[in-house]
Amino acid sequence: MITSTVPKVTRRAQARLGIFMVAPLMILVIVFFLFPLGSSVYYSVVDFDGVTANPPFVGLANYVRMFTDPEVLHALTNNLIWIVIGTIAPLVIGLLLALMLWTVRRGSALYRLAFFFPFVLPGVVIGIVWGWIYDPLSGWLNVALRAVGLGSLVTGWLGNPNTALYAVLATAIWAGFGFAMIIFLSALRNVDTELVDAARLDRTNAAQRLWHVILPQIMPVFLMVTTITLVGGFSVFDIIFIMTNGSIATNVLGTYSYSNAFQLNNISYGTTLALLITALSIPCAVLLNRLQRKLSLQGTSA
Amino acid sequence: MKKVSLLGVGAVLAATAIALSGCTGGAPASNSGSNQITYLIGQPDTPAQLTALKADMKNFEKESGVTVKLNVLPSDTIRTVLQTQLRSGSGPDVFGYDTGAGFAGVLAKAGLLYDLTAEYSKKNYAIYDFAKKAVTFDNKITGIPDQIEEVGLYYNKDMFAKQGLSAPTSLPDLEASLAKLKASGVIPMAAAEKEGYEAGWYLSMALASRAGADTVKGLIAGTGDWSSQDVVDAIDSWKQLNEKGYLPPSVTSIASQNGDALFLSGKAAMYPSGTWLVQTIDSTAKFNAGFIPFPGPDDKGISTTGLGGGIFMSANSKNPKAALKLMDYLASPEHGKYEISQGLIPTFPVSTDGIKVSPLFQQVLTDTAAYAKGTGQVGQNIDVAETDVFNKAMWDGFQAVFNGTMTPTQMAKSLQKASTTK
Repeated sequence: MITSTVPKVTRRAQARLGIFMVAPLMILVIVFFLFPLGSSVYYSVVDFDGVTANPPFVGLANYVRMFTDPEVLHALTNNLIWIVIGTIAPLVIGLLLALMLWTVRRGSALYRLAFFFPFVLPGVVIGIVWGWIYDPLSGWLNVALRAVGLGSLVTGWLGNPNTALYAVLATAIWAGFGFAMIIFLSALRNVDTELVDAARLDRTNAAQRLWHVILPQIMPVFLMVTTITLVGGFSVFDIIFIMTNGSIATNVLGTYSYSNAFQLNNISYGTTLALLITALSIPCAVLLNRLQRKLSLQGTSA
Repeated sequence: MKKVSLLGVGAVLAATAIALSGCTGGAPASNSGSNQITYLIGQPDTPAQLTALKADMKNFEKESGVTVKLNVLPSDTIRTVLQTQLRSGSGPDVFGYDTGAGFAGVLAKAGLLYDLTAEYSKKNYAIYDFAKKAVTFDNKITGIPDQIEEVGLYYNKDMFAKQGLSAPTSLPDLEASLAKLKASGVIPMAAAEKEGYEAGWYLSMALASRAGADTVKGLIAGTGDWSSQDVVDAIDSWKQLNEKGYLPPSVTSIASQNGDALFLSGKAAMYPSGTWLVQTIDSTAKFNAGFIPFPGPDDKGISTTGLGGGIFMSANSKNPKAALKLMDYLASPEHGKYEISQGLIPTFPVSTDGIKVSPLFQQVLTDTAAYAKGTGQVGQNIDVAETDVFNKAMWDGFQAVFNGTMTPTQMAKSLQKASTTK
């Protein structure tokens, strides 16, 4: 049995110091995570309309309603579409642009600025401007389609239930790929170019070099960007709400939760839906985070 | 190593907690002791209207010696923040809010509104009875009703005259006029349904003219059936207008502002909207405009009117004496004249002597006066009298009908279901 040689009084002092060092973080976790989470759980088991001081306890009624509400399934389906397309598209576009800019020397800063610029624009501005672009009568998208003889494709992009979600998604991809590109670009700066050159000497094609040489080296960063984009797909709200006012066609869990909580005064049901978003997104985030850490420990970090 | 005492750790934790709570803010400073009150209102439609309102408040401040801190928020946001503020005791002293059981009624039930019953009898406010009822809950009058609104069809008189048309006198007549206008190459009737709330106006005006004022009254009171044939037909009349191409294409993609622009710019001959647009039309449109009810199947239809909102006082006002002075002012002829000068319709009789009033506005003043005094058949705005759940069903339902994903019968059934949902 191994016994510590550190005196007991010193161990106590170290323990106290440890508590002292951890305390600020714990306070932040309690105030900004555990307390709101506990509060949300409380509101999900009562029937709170936003006004009543002592809402009645309803047990699991809000959860039962959530699992039997057909609109939840519709919103969840929209979330899944958003997560799949809204995660893959910015990653692919961002990675391709980063690879193209990786070796560019002249005008690189200009390209980076141009592609990253949409990301720093406020969501409200993006939503309003793209709303104009999609306007069925005077929006330039329809004007352009008519001009090139594709008048049959003209539609009310944000009002047509078949196109509304994808129109908003396209806007979100436009606004978000710049972030992925910048992060990938900085990760590529740390890629061992000798390995790439060696692979080239081995007569590998570009796709093989990307898949077998470059991607493994930037994988932790790739997973970090994936995590951020994917979790954002669960909680997406602002751009949809701005562009379509949360119409039925574009309802996702975030807008449906908001609509119930703040438009229909059903805070408890809205909170229950918000908890569903949390319950779905946390496992994904944890899983990707663990994978990222594992790869970092294996020494594949960019 | 220096010993760190538990007491010290506790002190640091306490200090951090205090610092954090300081960072998160708290209730705003009390107004008690000062002569200042806070007044929260929804964002007016135009900057000019806000400037005029500020001038009106300056006038009140000069007369009363009370200072008004005016806070302006988008109307949608008010609902989100107001309840929380009022419950935490940090709300505004006076605020604008929707009337009706689903809105101010909820606040009244929770005891968050100041009971103005005694003030009404003491000061003898001349508010119209129908308006007073809209702010009365459990026999307590809780606010000053603010503005009467009428919804109907605006039409471009010049464009109609050019096509040899006059104001439609029945639904078939309206459709014939729209067909002629369409053939002439203009948009027959501008419309907007992107936001969804426009559905409230559309259904209100079509239903009142088809089913009559008493039926609408019964439906709102909960004694009628929203899935009845009258409601189905009223919804269907709009569906028909859309399918026949009299409304702009993709009407559910057109925002209210853009709908306004189509009519104001002279691109569309007609426009379903409300009296809040009168001043803008008078000042912007380069043509003569008329305002008519949505026609009935065999007649010219009836006007559709309702209350725009109300001004309420917090039960926990920090300065009730000063807040009551503002409520007095809001029910005064002086404030009424300000409203008329802004194209708004007061909820109490106000003489228009000495105020320049356009013929269009004079017409709506006459219509709404008939409604306010209880004379003549006048329909009611549905959305301002119904609950959030009903309104959401109406807004979503109209969008679905226009998009072809729901039939008028299905929508009427969903309205009936929503009308019985608490």
